[in-house]
Formats: sequence, structure tokens, C-alpha cells
Amino acid sequence: MAELTTTKLNAESHLLLDQPLLRLPHEVARRNFKTVQKHVERERDVVLSSLKSTANASLTGQDPEQSIASLDTMISRMQGLKRKMESLHDQEKKLHQQSRKRIQHLTDLYEIPSLADVKYDDWSKIRLNRLMVDYLLRCGYGESAKALAKEKDIEDLVDLDVFVQCHAVEESLRRRSTTECLAWCVEHRPMLKKIESNLEFELRLQQYIELRRNEKVIEAKQHAQKFIIPQIDIRQPDTSRAAGIMAYSPTTRAEPYKTMYSQSRWNSLADLFVKTHHELFSLPPRPLLHIALSAGLSALKTPSCHSKYASSTANASSSTTTVCPICSTELNELARKLPYAHHTKSNVENDPVVLPNGRLYGRDRLFEMSAKVGLADGFVKDPTTSELFNNGEIRKVYIS
Amino acid sequence: MEELFNNHEKLVQKANLAQSIKATQACIDKLTSSRNAIAANPKSASLTLAKLQNDTMGDFDLITKELKDVYKGQGSYSKALEKKFKDKPLPTSDYDALSSHPTLINRAIAMHLLREGQFSVASTFVQEASLNSSGDEMDVVSSSQQTPERKLGADSLDSEALRKQFANMHNVLEELRNRNLLPAIEWARANSKALETRGSNLEFELGKLQFIHLFLGGSSFNDTRDIWEGQQNALEYARREFDRFQNRYLREIQQLIGAMAYSPNLKHSPYRRIFCNDDAWEELGNTFMREFCSLLGLSADSPLYVAATAGAIALPTLLKLQTIMKEKRTEWTTQHELPVTIHSIMIEVIIV
Repeated sequence: MAELTTTKLNAESHLLLDQPLLRLPHEVARRNFKTVQKHVERERDVVLSSLKSTANASLTGQDPEQSIASLDTMISRMQGLKRKMESLHDQEKKLHQQSRKRIQHLTDLYEIPSLADVKYDDWSKIRLNRLMVDYLLRCGYGESAKALAKEKDIEDLVDLDVFVQCHAVEESLRRRSTTECLAWCVEHRPMLKKIESNLEFELRLQQYIELRRNEKVIEAKQHAQKFIIPQIDIRQPDTSRAAGIMAYSPTTRAEPYKTMYSQSRWNSLADLFVKTHHELFSLPPRPLLHIALSAGLSALKTPSCHSKYASSTANASSSTTTVCPICSTELNELARKLPYAHHTKSNVENDPVVLPNGRLYGRDRLFEMSAKVGLADGFVKDPTTSELFNNGEIRKVYIS
Repeated sequence: MEELFNNHEKLVQKANLAQSIKATQACIDKLTSSRNAIAANPKSASLTLAKLQNDTMGDFDLITKELKDVYKGQGSYSKALEKKFKDKPLPTSDYDALSSHPTLINRAIAMHLLREGQFSVASTFVQEASLNSSGDEMDVVSSSQQTPERKLGADSLDSEALRKQFANMHNVLEELRNRNLLPAIEWARANSKALETRGSNLEFELGKLQFIHLFLGGSSFNDTRDIWEGQQNALEYARREFDRFQNRYLREIQQLIGAMAYSPNLKHSPYRRIFCNDDAWEELGNTFMREFCSLLGLSADSPLYVAATAGAIALPTLLKLQTIMKEKRTEWTTQHELPVTIHSIMIEVIIV
């Protein structure tokens, strides 16, 4: 049958939602590696130069005890470096383990031939759990996310740590604190520079605004000297505005200063941080669950799902079918907001009859059903509305 | 996938920090032994230090070289990832019509967790979600008026009542898995009227399986020890319970009783299919779940699951559409309908 071929699973095109699954642990591993590099470079500079000066001092007759003391300092520095490397190596191993499991999970998909296969069902359930954990994490529901990941044993397939850290910084900004986010910026400075992020500048600007708000004029000026004026060439017009705000009080109605003083600027900063964070880690800006759901709802939705006439699929006492997933309470309201796909194929029974109430059914199925519910001969029951009709009232219809 | 896997294995096996840590230890060892040499023979200090300076430089070069290997390994894995996902761009947020309805999504998730029997996760979620939204939506409604459910957007959803219902459902299913039909039978009897209206055979099917279960002595059908006692129990059960099914299921009941004539050789009788069907339990469990959800006015499969899966299947088509519309700069005239057919069999596969 030709139709069966449409259930063939094309794993290659099926991976649209799964790119972040492999990207993220790799991005974290790369960041991890850069930290190692930074440590090694620093220790290299320090140890080599202090070794050089110790050697030179020894040549000019320094007390050997002194040389031994300097060597001890170097040894303990190197041991410190090794400890740091080891702990980053543990991180690395964990990340490799995660990536390996994720690659395996995606490889599993390639071994499933058909969408109708039970294995696809299982795989797809894991995917839904992954998408839900991702959604929960993005909303800041860390505990729920952890609980679900643990219960479903998919902790290696989701990114609890990254999101929990991200959310902590986001929340600190919403609480009007810049400390955590600035520390994060310092830690990621090279990468932020690469994507030409304005996050750090915006934070410094906020600090400046707060100083001005609290009438700390001298500190504000010093702060501007240090952090804002150096950016004057690349951050116009923000730098000029920053200068201008000195002339306006926090209660001003004049724009753009009113907006700059606004407390909602903190929320914008939080949003900017999340956006920057996700960009840095190759995370999509929106939850993948949204993407999957809106595509799915559009694909499944039919015009009758929100029709005001009782449909056979929206009615629990209807015996023709079970409730359609779009009509079920869970998603009905959500689906209402979305467009529906063009359904060109409709399934009409091949022997349609019409009941006096205007409803259409397949003749054979209607009789079969009526017999099944134990009706006397000569009667049929509308499976949707449960009305009873005499056989004589049924009329055959022809589709033209 | 193989290329990805192989590239990644290189990172796991070789291109990791293990080697550079080893080189660091070697450097520490040399520093330590030089220190000890100077302590033992202070006169050698200058010479030892001069040599050490060279050695340490070499050690750091080695560490750097080992790190370079990690860097290279990461680079080629990056490339493999790039290649794999080159033609699979993440869908842009043009599709995200849902971000303005977080409460509706939260509600769908809460109901999904309940229907899956994830009760403890669900309660954590309800708690967390209600805590969070009280902060965000303070301006709209004063938070003291809101129950946790309301904040979840669950106006029409009594999550506690629903939790109880689903707890009951999972309890019955669990008992079925343990080969105990009684809770299911009890539920079906309590909902007999509604099931009959739906034309469902569930109540009778449960009774029938109970009959077979008793008939076979409550154990596997290879066991012949209690066969006589099992038949007696089954017959007694039939006399007591099947009366109510006489009208609708006379033929099936006759079959069941007729099978007695073939005992103990049922395996080779025409009734084999009725009596020796191990899948019957699972099938009946599914039917039970379906009917249970239908009576609650809910679909049998989780809508969240069905929709997300359909979405994953439909996405390639929708993306193609997005690209074409962008290229041709055309717009689909009907606002509420997408100009694509997503083949219905695909959707049927999931729903059925």
C-alpha cells in the first residue's frame, strides 16, 4: 500500500529539534578547556619568570636556603595548578559521558524504521520528557525539572546545571543586584567580546544610574570615568545619555532619562542576560517545547475542534471515538490561537445515511453499534447525542 | 551518526586533559628533585637551577602541546557537529505563538504529569509554578486571591480532584499488572451506565477475563494441578456474575462455558485464542485507560505527547514551507489555515 510508505521514519530530517542536545555539552566542554588554558598560561608565566630570577640570584651568590624557599613556592603553585586541572578533567569526563549518551540516544532513532514502530513511541516519549525538562528549566522551575529528570532517568540527556546557574544570575538581576552577572561577564569575557555583546556595558550603565539615583554624584563620576567614557566611540548614543542623566533627577518626565531611571530596566537587563547566555551556549532563544507544540497543534487541529456544534470527537459520551487530543481540555485553549493545516483528505464512510437530527453516519457502523448497545430491532441510536430513532427515519445520502 | 560518534570517541579516549596533567606532574617531579638536590648539596644550586630552568621550559612546552591535541580534537568534533546539523537549522521563533500563554502550557504539563502518574513531580511543579507566578503577575490580580491552581491557569481544572482520579486509574492499572482484576471490575460496575452509553464492552471483557483467569486456576495454563478447582471457581463466578450480561453477550458467554468440554486440552481446542492469550491483560489495561479518560472527558493519549510528536513529524514540512514563503515573498491568503497538508495517516498513526 502506498500510504504505508508515509510512515517511514526519516531520522535525518527528524533531528531538527535535537541540535542543542549535542551542542550544549560541547560548548561547556570548550569553555572548560579554555579555563584550563588560562590557568596553564598564567602559571607558566609566573613560574618561568620566578625560576629565572631565582637562577639569576643564585648566580650572584644568593643563599641556597633562599633558592629552596622560592622553589617550594613554585612547587606549591604547580600543585595548585594540577589540582585545578584535575577537577576540570573530572568535569570534562562528565561532559564526555553526557555527550556519548546523547549521541547514542540519537543513533537509536536511526535504527527505527517506521513511525508506527513501538520503539518510536518509546523514543518519542523520552523526547517529550526532555522537552518538558528544558521548558521547566527555562521557566525557572528547577526543582520540578530535577524531579522529572530523575524519575525518568534522563539526567544525562538534559542540562540541569547550566540552566540552574543561568536562572540564578537572572534572578539576581531581577532582585536588582549586578554582582553575580558582572562576575559571570568576567568569566566569559573573551566569548562575549567575540559576539560583540553589550551586556557588560549595560550593567555598568545600570550601576551608574543607581549611583545617580542615590545622589552619589562623585562616585557616579568616578564610575563613569572608569567604565563608561572608555566606551565612548563604540557605544553612542548611550554614553551621551549617561552624561546627560547627571542633569536630571530620578523623578524627571523627560525622555530618554525617564526610561533610563525606570525600574523595569532591571527586567530588560535580566532578559538581555538570558538572551546573551543562550547565544553563548548555542541554546535556542525559545523553549523547544513551544516549537514542537505549535507545529503539532497546527498539524492536528481541524476546523471542527473549536466549532460550537458538538462534534463526535469532542464528546465523552460519544461512542464513535475517543476524545480527540485537541478537543481534550489540556490543549484546547492553546490550539485555539493557532492556524490549522490544510486537510485535503477527509474520511467519509462509504455508505452514509442521515438521521433526522441532521447527523451523518456510516450505515453499517451505525447498525452495528446500535446492536452492540442492546437496542431492540428497528431502532438506532445517535452515538454522539444518544438520541433514539426509528429505522424508517433514516435516509440515505449521496455525495455529489 | 557514525562520524560524530567516532570523533567524539577520540575526545573520550585520547584528546582529553589526562595527558597534560601527566606532563604537569612530571614538571612538579623535576622541581621537587632539584629542590632536594640543592638541599643535599647547596653548592650545586646555581648549576641545578640553570638546568632546571631549561627543563621546566621544556615541560611547559609539553603541557601546551598536549593541550593543543585536545583543542584539535574538539575542533574536529565541532566540524562533525557542524556538518551533521548544517541543513537542519533550528526553527526560528516565527512559530512561537505560544510564549504569550505560559499558564496554558503549565496547565497542559500539570495534567500530563498527573495522567502519567507522576504525582510527586506534579505536586512539586504546582508548588513551584504558583510561587513564581505570584511575583510576576502581582500587578494584575492581588496574589492572595489566587489559589495555586488558578495561578497555573487551571480555572476549569480542579487539580486535586484530577489527581485523585488519576491516582485511582494508576492503582487499577498496577493491580491489573499484578493479575488482579477486581479493582477494575469494581470501577466498571460503578460506571456501568456511562460505559454502556458509549457502547463499550469493557465491563463484560473484564468479567470474561476474570472467568478465564479463574478457569486457568489463576496461574499459567500449563499448570494442571488445580484445574478442577479452577473450573469450579469459574463456573461459580459465571453463575453469580454473568446474568447481567445475558442480553448483550449471550454468544460469548456460551463460548466460554462451552470451552469446559475441551479442558484440559484447551491449548489444542478451537477456544485456544480466547483462553491462551497472554496479551489480553495488556490490551484490557489499554482499553480500561481509554474508557477511563473518555469518561473524564479527556482524550485517551496525552494531548501533550500527541501534539509534541506530531509537531516533530510535521516540522520538516513546515520549515520547508517557511523557506518557500520567504523566497517567493508570497503570503497564504487564509490567515487561519496553513497551505500544507500534513498527511493524515501520519497523524492517525499517533492517535490510534
